[in-house]
Amino acid sequence: MQTYILRRLLALLPTLFIASVIVFVIVRMVPGDVVDLMLSQNDAGSNNLTREQLLETLGLDKPMWKQYGIWIGDLALRGDLGHSLWQGDSVLSMIATRLPVTFELGLLAMVIALSVAIPVGVYSAVKQDAAGDYIARSFSLLMLAVPSFWVGTMVTVFPSIWWGWSPEIHFMPFREDPLQNLKQMLIPAVILGLSLSAITMRMTRTMMLEVLRQDYIRTARAKGLKETLILTRHAVRNGLIPVITLIGSQAPILIGGAVILEQIFVLPGMGMLLLDAVNQRDYPVVTGVFFVVGLTVMLINLLVDLSYGLIDPKVRQR
Amino acid sequence: MEAKMQAHPAATVAPVTPAAKPASVGRPANARKSQLGWFVRKLFREKRLGAAGAVIALVFLFFGLFADLLAPYGMNEVDMGARLQAPSWGHPFGTDNLGRDLLSRCIYGAQISVVIGLTVAAISTFISAAIGIVSGYFGGKVDMVVQRFVDAWMSFPGLIVLIVVASVFGSGITQIIVTLGLLIGIGGSRIVRSAVVSVREDMYIHAAKSIGASAPRILWRHVLPNVIAPLIVLFTSSVGTAILAESGLSFLGLGVPPPYPTWGGMLSGNGRTYMLQGPWLALAPGLCLTLVVYAINVFGDALRDMLDPRMRGSR
Amino acid sequence: MKMIRTLLAGLTGMALATVAGQAMAQADTPKYGGTLDVATTSTGVTTLSWDLADWQATLQTRDTGQFYEQLFSVDLGKAKSRGGKYPFTISGWQPSDAIRGELAESWEWVTPLVLEIKLRKGVKFPAKAGVMPERELTAEDVVFSFNRMNTSAKKTQGYYDHIDKVSAKDKGTVVFTFNKFLADWDYRFGNGFFSGIVPKEVVDAGPGNWKNVNGTGPFMLGNVAQGNSLTFVKNPVYWDQETINGTAYKLPFVDKLVHRVIKDEATQQAALRTGKLDILSSISSEAAKELKKTAPQVKWNRWLSTSAARVALRVDTKPFTDVRVRRALNMAVNKQEVIDKFYGGEAEMFVFPMHPEYVGYHTPLKDMPPAVQELFKYDPAKAKKLLAEAGYPKGFAFKMQICTCNTEQMELMPLVAAYLEMVNVKMEIVPMEYGAHLSAMTSHTNGAGYLTTIPDVNPTTSLRINYGKGQVYNAPMWDDPKFDARVVEALGERDEAKRQQILRESTAFILEQAPAIWMPAPYRYTAWWPWVRNYGGELFVGAGRNAPIHARVWIDQDMKKKMGF
Repeated sequence: MQTYILRRLLALLPTLFIASVIVFVIVRMVPGDVVDLMLSQNDAGSNNLTREQLLETLGLDKPMWKQYGIWIGDLALRGDLGHSLWQGDSVLSMIATRLPVTFELGLLAMVIALSVAIPVGVYSAVKQDAAGDYIARSFSLLMLAVPSFWVGTMVTVFPSIWWGWSPEIHFMPFREDPLQNLKQMLIPAVILGLSLSAITMRMTRTMMLEVLRQDYIRTARAKGLKETLILTRHAVRNGLIPVITLIGSQAPILIGGAVILEQIFVLPGMGMLLLDAVNQRDYPVVTGVFFVVGLTVMLINLLVDLSYGLIDPKVRQR
Repeated sequence: MEAKMQAHPAATVAPVTPAAKPASVGRPANARKSQLGWFVRKLFREKRLGAAGAVIALVFLFFGLFADLLAPYGMNEVDMGARLQAPSWGHPFGTDNLGRDLLSRCIYGAQISVVIGLTVAAISTFISAAIGIVSGYFGGKVDMVVQRFVDAWMSFPGLIVLIVVASVFGSGITQIIVTLGLLIGIGGSRIVRSAVVSVREDMYIHAAKSIGASAPRILWRHVLPNVIAPLIVLFTSSVGTAILAESGLSFLGLGVPPPYPTWGGMLSGNGRTYMLQGPWLALAPGLCLTLVVYAINVFGDALRDMLDPRMRGSR
Repeated sequence: MKMIRTLLAGLTGMALATVAGQAMAQADTPKYGGTLDVATTSTGVTTLSWDLADWQATLQTRDTGQFYEQLFSVDLGKAKSRGGKYPFTISGWQPSDAIRGELAESWEWVTPLVLEIKLRKGVKFPAKAGVMPERELTAEDVVFSFNRMNTSAKKTQGYYDHIDKVSAKDKGTVVFTFNKFLADWDYRFGNGFFSGIVPKEVVDAGPGNWKNVNGTGPFMLGNVAQGNSLTFVKNPVYWDQETINGTAYKLPFVDKLVHRVIKDEATQQAALRTGKLDILSSISSEAAKELKKTAPQVKWNRWLSTSAARVALRVDTKPFTDVRVRRALNMAVNKQEVIDKFYGGEAEMFVFPMHPEYVGYHTPLKDMPPAVQELFKYDPAKAKKLLAEAGYPKGFAFKMQICTCNTEQMELMPLVAAYLEMVNVKMEIVPMEYGAHLSAMTSHTNGAGYLTTIPDVNPTTSLRINYGKGQVYNAPMWDDPKFDARVVEALGERDEAKRQQILRESTAFILEQAPAIWMPAPYRYTAWWPWVRNYGGELFVGAGRNAPIHARVWIDQDMKKKMGF
């Protein structure tokens, strides 16, 4: 087990390296470089002199491999992800402000998803193919099938007309004003959570069905053990699997942000940070965000894989 | 949108345990035909919801395939005299802000959804199968390297990949299809891989190997049948995911560009702008989109229930 | 008895009237305090840099303009809402008779090339912890700011070549020594985009850090919630005053000013409806129609957008080398129907390159020469004839690049394509992502057809930047030394009337040459709640700045409560 963990951790490094090179190169290959965009701000016209000067100031006149070397050097030696090309801010500080917002949204959404999915999934499994199963699954799937931007728009627009109420738009960090923060986060978290719940509910239902069919359950039933006791004992163990799977598969959203909801509910998250940075060709921010998101997601996936081994003994023996 | 893209591959099918036996191994070929008949009958008898879903999906498929024949008006027939008309006999779904018939645009939207959905599903299923089988069957170093690439890829927020692709290669239906196919496909490879891994453990293969069966033969006769079930499920859920993903892209301005009508594009564009003056502009494409994705998902669920060997014969 | 009753009734009536009158007068007395929540134009984005030496135009001037002031601004007393004649809804230019000194109190040309500016007395920088104590503005600050802009590595080359030097004659006098006269001298450093006065202490502390910025303006930067809002707080020692009903009041009235950063239009409008926004600056005419129904108490102002679209046609690429082809395309589009049907009547035919608010520079369409007027009349038959004459009787096809970010134009262009189709011209719409689209133009690699909206500039710059050889926004690749020479001549013309004439002629000329398909410009709306007092929908005092406007706004808290918010 120890060696497995160590091997996986070591394997992270080349993966990250390759990913960072790919991102670094691709972002700079996108047509329309940052200088073009900056020049369009200057209304008196661009000539080559201004362009060259800008390139030099931004450090973009060096060959690509040199730029990468500088970036990776700063990162490895000082944990410095560089500075935004437009603002003076350090990329790390920009990420540090946005990441908690995204993380909080993702966490709230997962809590909501699980608190809906697990009871519904269990109920659905117990009453397989009965009306209750259909209704529960239908509702869940409906939340999945309606695009999130549409739900978000309806929730924003119609209450403002009917009841004079609209979602909170003023952002306060959780540390400073938890109530205001939660007021703003609640609705997007519910929307995201409900759409996630469909997937988790399926998983829970499947696991529960498997549990219900296991031979020893039949034996236990035959022996006369109470249904609820059987369910509870195994539900906990098997219930963790969908939870962990959900965490693993949603990790990119947890860290990378849900752009659409951020846009509609004015949440300053990682999704919008990345989108804006790509639009503005702010290369250090883009590479920095990719790196942080990538690293964190890979670590989370590693943890997920490890916990599978812990929970499901059948997976462990390899 | 990202939720659906990230979540569906890993979570729709439970990790297959080594105890599961491949179900269709060893059945003679002429039993396949009756297999289909048996399958359809079982679907309609036991999984009514799934059957309903299949029917709905087929109806939309039909409209999509024969859009040119069925649509009363052209896809882009501008008629400024007939702007923003509520549903009527002449225009059952109403008209939009350029006077275009909404019913026709929804039908053409079905066509595009069919194209996007099926093509993305085909590409992604193929990629999932290829990566999953290679990685799962050969194991060892190959598995390690491939999985690390998959890990790296999966850690990218899919949306940004799409944006970068849109910037480099432009916004177009081909670019969207290829990128979505890649994203969903690579994600789904994990499921295929775990199915292959479980088969690998099976004594049957050890036996076959010891007899001297070649790798391709083993892959074909033993591994493939066991992964068909998850692949079928992956295929159906990819269709829904692709359609939803395109709608999210439209909202961000990166979807299939006008004048091609996609349901997502109509919903996120005119649907939102004229939400209060002309609710039908949102209702029509919105209902189409939701109904199709719902139907496909429900059908996929039923499929999975029926194909999962642990479910069979248990009731 | 009856007389007493009448008398009593009369007295009561008078008493009531007096009380009501007093209440009204009370209601009109500005009160201090409260927070003003504003969604400005371009509300979805905030400035990308707080350091003026980064040379970023509109957004930077808008956001830093709350605290960094300039030499010149406008006299808001001349606003339409206050009985004057200017709406102040365009950004890049101010009519010369509306100019008012901001940090400058008076100025005179002591020689044709030397300008002496006397600074206002008593203007102070407020104390800023860790940066600077409270102190008075001096001429050195102006000199310092100019030199900093002039020596910045990101400066637009040649922008200040006309200035020899800027010096401080004494503590309150700044002297500009020019080597030649440029008509937009005040735009380049005075009331334009790169004209903010920054104290040396801020630069020493780190000008890019929002926590350090400090200026003489009405507001100080309180908090930046990146991607969500900018919070400004009242500058306690701000110099300006506003006279209302004969009494002079120190500004600003409100304690806090919040710029909301909201990308999504539906969210913006919902926030306005529920009173979370006090002012929503930029609303499409369609949305305005609906908002008027769902928020009937809100007040409105309509203004003409400067973002008219033009489908630039590359004059160096066939078939657009032939002026007949270009004119034909203009005649083939039914622009009146676009106004009537697409914009629901809420658009103007001719807005670009001379905006109607450029008073004196703008010639109305009806006064333009017939060759120009012809381009705005729908005449597909004539278009076909011209095309045949030019050698394209069967029409032709071309690609038109458009930005996916411009949703309105993405909707409009299929309609334009439909019109062109009727004269056998096939316009293939090529959507491009924002950065790729913009850089295609700035690097002069754009396609034969290219849709662009133009930035807010002033009358001189408008022609130069869009049609000058090699200029950034010259998507049509117009290369005309005579035209360039005329524009340069206008730039150097001191006499305003002569300048206006040159530019009017040049405008008519370029319109006639049709290096683009000229499209109508839509009206947009500004909405605000009635409790936002002393405000009439003004948007800019110049170059994206709105600080003096919001400084003059006071919140009627009683009215707000009475209305239920």
